[in-house]
Amino acid sequence: MASTGELIDRLARDARPVRRLRRPALRALAWLAVAALLVGIIARLEGIRPGLAQAFDDPRFAIGRVAALATAITAALAAFELSVPDRSSRWLWLPLPFAALWLGAMGAGCIADWLAEGPSGLRIGHSADCFVAILMTSVPLGALLLVMVRHAGPVRPVATALAAGLALAAVGEGGLTLYHDVDATVMDLLIHLAAVAVVVALALSGSRALFRTVVPR
Amino acid sequence: MVRAMPEHAGRPETSPGSTWGALMARAQGGDQAAYRRLLTEITPYLRSIAARYHRSREDVEDTVQDVLLSVHAIRHTYDPARPFGPWLATIADRRALDRLRRRLRQAGRETTLEPEHETFAAVAANGDTGGADGGLEAAELARAMARLPPGQRQALELLKLKELSLKEASAATGLSITALKVATHRALKSLRAIMQGRR
Repeated sequence: MASTGELIDRLARDARPVRRLRRPALRALAWLAVAALLVGIIARLEGIRPGLAQAFDDPRFAIGRVAALATAITAALAAFELSVPDRSSRWLWLPLPFAALWLGAMGAGCIADWLAEGPSGLRIGHSADCFVAILMTSVPLGALLLVMVRHAGPVRPVATALAAGLALAAVGEGGLTLYHDVDATVMDLLIHLAAVAVVVALALSGSRALFRTVVPR
Repeated sequence: MVRAMPEHAGRPETSPGSTWGALMARAQGGDQAAYRRLLTEITPYLRSIAARYHRSREDVEDTVQDVLLSVHAIRHTYDPARPFGPWLATIADRRALDRLRRRLRQAGRETTLEPEHETFAAVAANGDTGGADGGLEAAELARAMARLPPGQRQALELLKLKELSLKEASAATGLSITALKVATHRALKSLRAIMQGRR
């Protein structure tokens, strides 16, 4: 490897003007706007599911959905903050309580359903569609989000990708309730949980390759 | 503007941070002289951070270069309205840790060869064991090496004895990497033939 002095010379010669990043909160807001737009378009195409307003009378459903929304917003904010070196790594804590509430409500739904319906809840309805739908929103939004935070490679790659994965999964799963008539069988909920896990795992693995293109490690 | 920086609280203020921040702001605008000054001035500070994680001078210097490359790649993420110290310190800490992790992983895979790792009863089969037999073996090898054609001998010396990389050896000799590989391969083959002929 060349000497440090030579490296400094090379970098200094390469010091083209750069455009400063906007504040992380603003960039998070921009991404959330794109996410809302995409979910809105899909809801428009698929049609809002019937009985959505009534479903909110069920407190478990209402809490779960509001928590999903809160998770999406806070996790996106955390991902953008974590990607910048001078921000605190404690941002990762922010979405966790909401995520716990969101996933907890889903888990409680599984158990309640199991008790009410027994093994018949294990039939596969249109669960596979849900899985695909969650992935379909997550992949384009995830690509956009990871590209927007690609400078996180030499900073906090794992924490950033984790927060990004949570945001994506929450948008995907939360958005789904608008247009899919989920009959809340155990299988449906399990599939949702599995999709959330897959999205977070994809964000973690996909970010590695992407972050390496910014600064080789 | 003063903001609480919990991660780096208690870190001694080692730099005229505001000067560095101003230099970085100018560097973001394309001011090469300011950028060179900044990188030169932060290097001793980076070395001191790297030295907290690494003992070998080589690792310290490689870490400093990792940090400089990272600073360069993401210099657009610095916000001149905020202090420069924490921005730089986070990158330095992370890159030093990255290298430390890589070193630990390597250490986990590689083990120093000890006498108890000998696999055969015959001393000669286990290479240089450090004793008189090892010396004998080495002398025999040196004689065999002396009989190699100069090109093959040079390739072996650079790549196997001095343990240069192909790139470094190519720079030192002016030979292409392929030529070096071929020479090494032939040298090992000749050596094997010479040594076997002797036994």
